Amino acid sequence: MAVPAIRTHRLTKDYGAGRGLFELDLEIQPQEVFGYLGPNGAGKTTTIRCVMGMIRPTAGSAHVFGLDCLRDSVEVKRFVGYLPGDIPQFGGMRGQDVVAYFGGMRGGVDAKRVHDIAERFDLDLGRRFREYSSGNKQKLGILLAFMHRPKLLILDEPTGGLDPLNQQEFYRLLAEARDEGATVFLSSHILSEVEHVCDRVGIVRSGRLVRVANLEELHRIRLHHVEIEFADGAAVPEDAIRSAAGVDRVVVTDRVVKCVVHGSFDSLLKALGTDAVENLVSHEPSLEEIFLEYYREEASPDALSIRP
Amino acid sequence: MLFRFALRQGRWGLAGFSLLAFLLALLQSAGFYQVAGHTAAERAAFGKSIALLAAQFTVIVPAPLRPDTVGGYVQWRAYGFFAIVFAIWALASGVGASRGDEERGLVEATLAAGVSRADALIARFAAFTASVIVAAAAGAAGVYAGTDRLHDWIDPGSVAAASLLLLGLALTCYAMTLLVCQLTPARMATALAGGVLLVLFLVNSLGRSLDLLRGWRWLSPFYYYDLSRPLAPGGAIDVRAIEVLLVIAIVAGLAAAIAFSYRDLGSPLLALRLRAHGVIREPSRVVWWRIPVARGLYDRRAGLIAWTVGMAALAVVFVLLTKSIVQPMLGISSLAPYFRAIIHGEIYPSFLGFIWFGFAELLFAGYAITHVARWSAEDSDGRLELTLGNPISRTAVIIERALVLVAGLAFIATVSAAALGVESQAQAIDVSTRKLVEASLLLVPFGLFFAAIGAVMAAFIPRATVGLMAGFAIASYFVTQVGPIFKWPDLVLDVSPFKLFGQPLASGVDGAGLAIMVIVIVVGLGASALLLRRRDIGA
Repeated sequence: MAVPAIRTHRLTKDYGAGRGLFELDLEIQPQEVFGYLGPNGAGKTTTIRCVMGMIRPTAGSAHVFGLDCLRDSVEVKRFVGYLPGDIPQFGGMRGQDVVAYFGGMRGGVDAKRVHDIAERFDLDLGRRFREYSSGNKQKLGILLAFMHRPKLLILDEPTGGLDPLNQQEFYRLLAEARDEGATVFLSSHILSEVEHVCDRVGIVRSGRLVRVANLEELHRIRLHHVEIEFADGAAVPEDAIRSAAGVDRVVVTDRVVKCVVHGSFDSLLKALGTDAVENLVSHEPSLEEIFLEYYREEASPDALSIRP
Repeated sequence: MLFRFALRQGRWGLAGFSLLAFLLALLQSAGFYQVAGHTAAERAAFGKSIALLAAQFTVIVPAPLRPDTVGGYVQWRAYGFFAIVFAIWALASGVGASRGDEERGLVEATLAAGVSRADALIARFAAFTASVIVAAAAGAAGVYAGTDRLHDWIDPGSVAAASLLLLGLALTCYAMTLLVCQLTPARMATALAGGVLLVLFLVNSLGRSLDLLRGWRWLSPFYYYDLSRPLAPGGAIDVRAIEVLLVIAIVAGLAAAIAFSYRDLGSPLLALRLRAHGVIREPSRVVWWRIPVARGLYDRRAGLIAWTVGMAALAVVFVLLTKSIVQPMLGISSLAPYFRAIIHGEIYPSFLGFIWFGFAELLFAGYAITHVARWSAEDSDGRLELTLGNPISRTAVIIERALVLVAGLAFIATVSAAALGVESQAQAIDVSTRKLVEASLLLVPFGLFFAAIGAVMAAFIPRATVGLMAGFAIASYFVTQVGPIFKWPDLVLDVSPFKLFGQPLASGVDGAGLAIMVIVIVVGLGASALLLRRRDIGA
């Protein structure tokens, strides 16, 4: 079996007061595009910085292609293209100077590759960094991460500040990188982005990995918003619906019942019995809705667990 | 609330300049008794000598009035210098308030919170006014603390007038800085506002001697400051001049507020359109970017050139001033102990070595501290994180930083030594070439000494490092300059790193001092490398 591109074992960075990252076990295979989802402060950037060897874990370990991220941090960086969450300020340096500076530091950067990426994103490297819009600064960061055709791309919220057209261009660039053999670890809080490009998704919340699933698996999670309309004069079996397994958030208004069904529809259909159902609409959950479902702060721990 | 926030923004300036004002006033008033003597005859002789000496410095401060009295002496030595110090504070504070905060997004956030532009500017103006009042009061307290009240009396009204003058000048410089900043791009604001204040300062100071400029002195706020000398017995208090300063401050402040209300955030009032140029998609072909150390120097090339040219020019000025300062001083008997303390060997090279290398040490320490500031900034703004995203170790980062600094220090030292050597020849001051080279090269470890300490401090207190290091350098400089005069104990003098440098132009390189510097450099840089390896980046 191939050496994982990224492997973490009980990786922990404890900042105190419950903040940080706790006992993260993660394995990302070569050529996989892995989406790392979570709200702000969930621990996405902390994970990335641990893997990049920027911060020292309190416990556990992280490896990139079998190399220890701390002990072999220089060797690890030879494989990696890194886009941090915040692009640093380069003041009066021109874009072409920034590229030459980091290209010189790394070595082996192909000017044609730089030209191609700059052209795809319509990025003028002749302008001074301070003159760049936030979107252009982000494009420069993407260029710096991709310019040396790395084996592993670690990207912290890469599409922040990009307009929709450039986002699409970025997704194409990412797909090309994967086709050429690169592994991608991409953090995001935008689910549509993950839907576009990722093979698997890890969801992190309050510093803990809640779940790792592939996209099909996520879609299969049986979470449906259901609206049932009963016929005139028919009795609404409200109590039966409320007590049905996997059904919650039941709201009854006149002849219309709205509820959320987790998992199988069996219990709900049995609860409806033979009463005349005039209309039944089930909304397929979007990834966004699943995401929100995971992170509803008011929800009980039980409600957060996924029942496949 | 807005006022309190503005006050908080400038708290370091308030603390630093208040302390500086207090210490300088205290030093000069207390020092008067050390150098002027206690009998009337001694003081009269001292006053004449100082008047003679001061004639050499009218390009910086006006000639003194009654320097034989503590009031006249403090007016000249402390309050003449305060005009420059408070103007620099006004410049730094004004640029920070008008464009620095804007660059950091603070102004946008403030305006988005429903605060009007006029209120935002008024709050900053009021906070600076309050800060200057505190600092001026600290200066006044220093005067009183250092004055021997049993024998000398300084009228509180005179001290209040001197403080009011200082306030008027500082507010005028502040308001003018605010106005200039509205008209210029943010990146040029410091240079242009500083240039305007420098020109106004020079119009007044050079106008004291040059007929060409004498008729234009009224344009300068420093002229109105000069018109009053309230601390000196018999010194005038020109109320109209104070009024003029306050009127200029109000008018310039109002003009700045109007300009601020009309301009776009992030742009000057009159913005030039961007020049069209061909789109560039390739990385720069400049070879320096690809060479370690050279890329750091190339990145800082503008600053390096400015420091080099400035230091070389200063070296020439110091040579030019040497004879004209030393000759009149030789006739002042009260300064004999001073000469004995600083002169070893031939008088001109020795004096040149003392004043030039004393000042050069301070500037080299300043240059090193700017590098430390840059290192701290690279850590906090994410540039270090992006750098370490490449296959480069943390130790290599420290080594490259140190080598860039060494190369910069060596370049500046070499060029300024060449300028000093050439001009010394022209002025018939016999400076030993070997000693000059040794002394100049000794500035390299001296600068590194400060950088090594700063690098360690930056690992723990990055935000306060620059201020503390600058304060340490200035305090050390003054300890070396005035310590021998006040006959401070060796224990105090040894605290100053300037003591380690010694007087290489007169006495050769002090081996023990050099060894201590090297040990501190090795230990400091080693510790900072160790700390950087252990430290979290970007967290």
